[in-house]
Formats: sequence, structure tokens, C-alpha cells
Amino acid sequence: MSIDRSDDRYRSIVEAIPSAIVLVDRRRRIRLVNRKAEELFGYARDELLDAPVELLIPSRFHGEHPRHVAQFFAQPETRPMGAGRDLFGRRKGGEEVPIEIGLSPIDTDEGLCTLASIIDITERKSARERYEDELRRSNADLEQFAYVASHDLQEPLRMVANYTELLAQRYAGQLDDRADKYIHYASDGARRMQRLVADLLAYSRVGSQGKPLAPVAAGEVLAAVTHGLQRLLRESGGAVEAGPLPLVLADEVQLHQLLQNLVSNAIKFRSESAPLVRVEATREGPRWRFSVSDNGIGIDMQYAERVFQMFQRLHEQGRYDGSGIGLAIAKRIVERHGGTIRIDSEPGRGSVVSFTLSAARPEDAS
Amino acid sequence: MSRPLSVLLVEDNPGDADLVIETLEQGKLKLDIAVAVDGAQALARLLRQPPFEAVVSPDLILLDLNLPKVTGREVLARIKQEPGLREIPVVVLTSSDAEHDIVRSYQLGANCYVTKPVGLVAFQTIVQAIEGFWFTVVKLP
Repeated sequence: MSIDRSDDRYRSIVEAIPSAIVLVDRRRRIRLVNRKAEELFGYARDELLDAPVELLIPSRFHGEHPRHVAQFFAQPETRPMGAGRDLFGRRKGGEEVPIEIGLSPIDTDEGLCTLASIIDITERKSARERYEDELRRSNADLEQFAYVASHDLQEPLRMVANYTELLAQRYAGQLDDRADKYIHYASDGARRMQRLVADLLAYSRVGSQGKPLAPVAAGEVLAAVTHGLQRLLRESGGAVEAGPLPLVLADEVQLHQLLQNLVSNAIKFRSESAPLVRVEATREGPRWRFSVSDNGIGIDMQYAERVFQMFQRLHEQGRYDGSGIGLAIAKRIVERHGGTIRIDSEPGRGSVVSFTLSAARPEDAS
Repeated sequence: MSRPLSVLLVEDNPGDADLVIETLEQGKLKLDIAVAVDGAQALARLLRQPPFEAVVSPDLILLDLNLPKVTGREVLARIKQEPGLREIPVVVLTSSDAEHDIVRSYQLGANCYVTKPVGLVAFQTIVQAIEGFWFTVVKLP
């Protein structure tokens, strides 16, 4: 296709397009602009035609730009520009505008050119930033709330728990059976509430006490976790097997907690046979997918979402120890690391909990 | 020994104070236990300000951090700056397990830092351990 400059119809179409249009040749000279481009960049058409396209690009990108242009001409195909990067245009006055650019190769009578179709995304971006700010603030508020609530709840709760227990220590058997039962309910309730409050505190700390992510050897973390679970493993006759585990970008303390929650869950929800837990990792682009599989009781997949919610338990109280926070904390840790977590399971056939973490060396992507 | 060992318990929560006292009283040692319910009262006792001119200087101080009026941290700082008081061992006994409270307390000169545990038996065990360590294991000035 070639643009016939004498054709009024094409000219008025290009002029009317609501995106800024800039046609650039191999030498990175601007060949054509439309009205929207003049408006977006604040230059008059005469100032733009034949000028180097770098005029419209913030100077910090000038160094790399010729290489990008050369790459495009080497492999000319229609595509969005700078996938995953934030792009900016530079206006005549020097201010920057966040933009989105679509590139298409066009054969003209002056040779192969790049047609850049540019949209100003200032408004979209500021709306998104506003939402993100709001979300961040509301998350921070929630965390603060959970932290303060659980911290301040602990003090009076300790009183209730200690004194009902003291009552039991000193007076159990001296009153009637009914009184003993009441005391038992009261101290059991207080103990459970202490557990919930402690778990809530642990949950809120995932966000509030997280450390920056750094390369961590997952294999070493798993070894430490397994070591810490020695007693549980001995008592249950269980074993933890690990494939080769990679270096990932993580908060080491939280990765430890994540693996510990998953491995101890796998042991806790064991079937009749001795628990066998297998931890493996496979590469998925820039990430690693870890899987923790077991031969335990498994779950019905209709509960696959629910098990990751706070304080959701699938079993009656007393059957399995715990408040149902383990997987909720695991999910929160994975999400704080930018990954996802899921469970695949079938009752009686074990479960596989898998999650993704960023590789510490993204360049060895397979 | 000429007089019973004396303990100053600085604690605003009467429930916790009673538990500590009960537990200490069940131990083998004869202890003289005084309670200060806030930081100001603790300092007045230690500095023998009226009406505490006649009180005995304690052999051990159990100090809560979160106190009304003068906080436990201020009491600790003052004790450790005051000649005649700074050699008295101070055991911080608090519900906080925040890292900054622990670090700050030791910086101010706390002799040890103990978090009030969850559960009555654990609490009693800890109080007995404090008593055993400071009154039978170590030598006091």
C-alpha cells in the first residue's frame, strides 16, 4: 500500500483519526503527522516534518531508541511498542505525557516507514494510579486494624484465659460437675480465641513485616523447614522428598513460613498411610512453579477456593488442630511475592498445592 | 541473710500483678513484694520520695513497659542513670514481643527481657524461672 499524498480522501481520514499519527522513515525522520499529533506534542506541523523523531521522545530514552528502530525495520510487523514498559512522549515545552503506541510497517514511495499510532493515556493512567493508591491505603488500613485489634485484644484475653485456668487449677473438683463443665467451656473458648487472635496477628504481619525480596535458595529453606518438622514427621512416620529446588526472589522468612504451612498441612491431613510429601519446582517462563504434593485425605474440588480463605475449615472442631489460617497465610505470602497459588485434589487421593515465585535469574528462562 | 529478699513489681494490670504475686508466694523463698501501679509511683518508691521515704531498696525490679503516666521505658532509663539504683537488676516483663521494644530495652540497660506468655501454666513457669534465676542462681550486689 502507498499513501498518495494528493488523495484528499486519505488525507482527511488521517487527519480525522482520534489518535496521533506519526510516520517515520528508516533514518528516523518524521515524514507525516496528523492534527492530533500536533495537538498531543504541541508542535506545529512545519516544526515536525523532517525533524528527527527523537524530538518527541524524552532524552533519557534517546540512547536506546535507534536500536529499537533498527530492530523494528529488521523485523517489520504490526505490534504494540515497548510491551510491558511505560512509554512517554515529550511535548514541545519539555513536559512528558504517558502514551501508548501501536507500530505498523508501511511501504511508501519513499521506502519502508513506521506508522506510529499514539494515544495519550494520562487520564487512564491517573485513574488507575488513583485506584491503586486507594487500594494500597485501604489494605494498609486493614492491616493496621488487624494488627491493633489483635494486639490490644491479647491483653484482656490473657486475663480471661489465665483466670479461668486458675479457677480450674484451684477449684476443679471442689464445685459440682456442672461448674467444672462451665469452667471447661470458658477456658476452652478463651484458648481458641487466643489462637484466633494470634493467627490474625500472623496474617496481618505478612503485609506489615515483609522484607524486600532477594535471591533465596528454596532448597535450603525447605531443608530448614523439614528439620523444624522432625518431631511431627517422626510421630507420623512421614517423609519429605524434594526435587532440585531453584534460587527464587523471595522474603526468606516468608518463604520458610509458606513451605512450613504447606508441608505441615500435608502431614496433618494425612490418610491411613504414612504421609509422603513431595516438593518440586518446574520452570514457567520467568517464574518457577513449586508443587507440594501429598498422599493425604484430599479435598473435594468444590472447596478449592474456600480453603484459602481465613478461618475456613472443612472439618469439625477437634478433629484436626488449627484455626484454618495456614492456607490463607500461604496465599497472602504468595500474592505478596506477585505469584498465584492453587490446589488440585480429589478426596482420598491426596492434594497438590502449587504456587509460583519469580526466578532469581530470569535470563535462564527455558 | 538479715532480711527477706525484696521485689518491686511495676505493673498496672492488677490481674497480672496478682498472678505474679501468687506464683512468687508459692515458691520456697520468702519474698517481700511491693507493687507500683504506674511509672511515677515506681520512681517515687525507688527515689524514696514522700510518702516512700522509709521503703527498702528492692533486690530485683519486675517492670512492665506499657504503664500509665511515666512509661516503663522512662522508668528503666531513669533507673539505669541513677547512682544507687542502676545496679538493681531489672527484668522487663511485658506483653510486647515487638523487636523494637526488645532492642530498646536492652539499650536502656535492662538486665533481661521476658514476654508474658500465653497460658497460665506458661506464665507461672516463667515467673518461677525468674525467681529461681535471680535469687538462687546468680549473685546479687
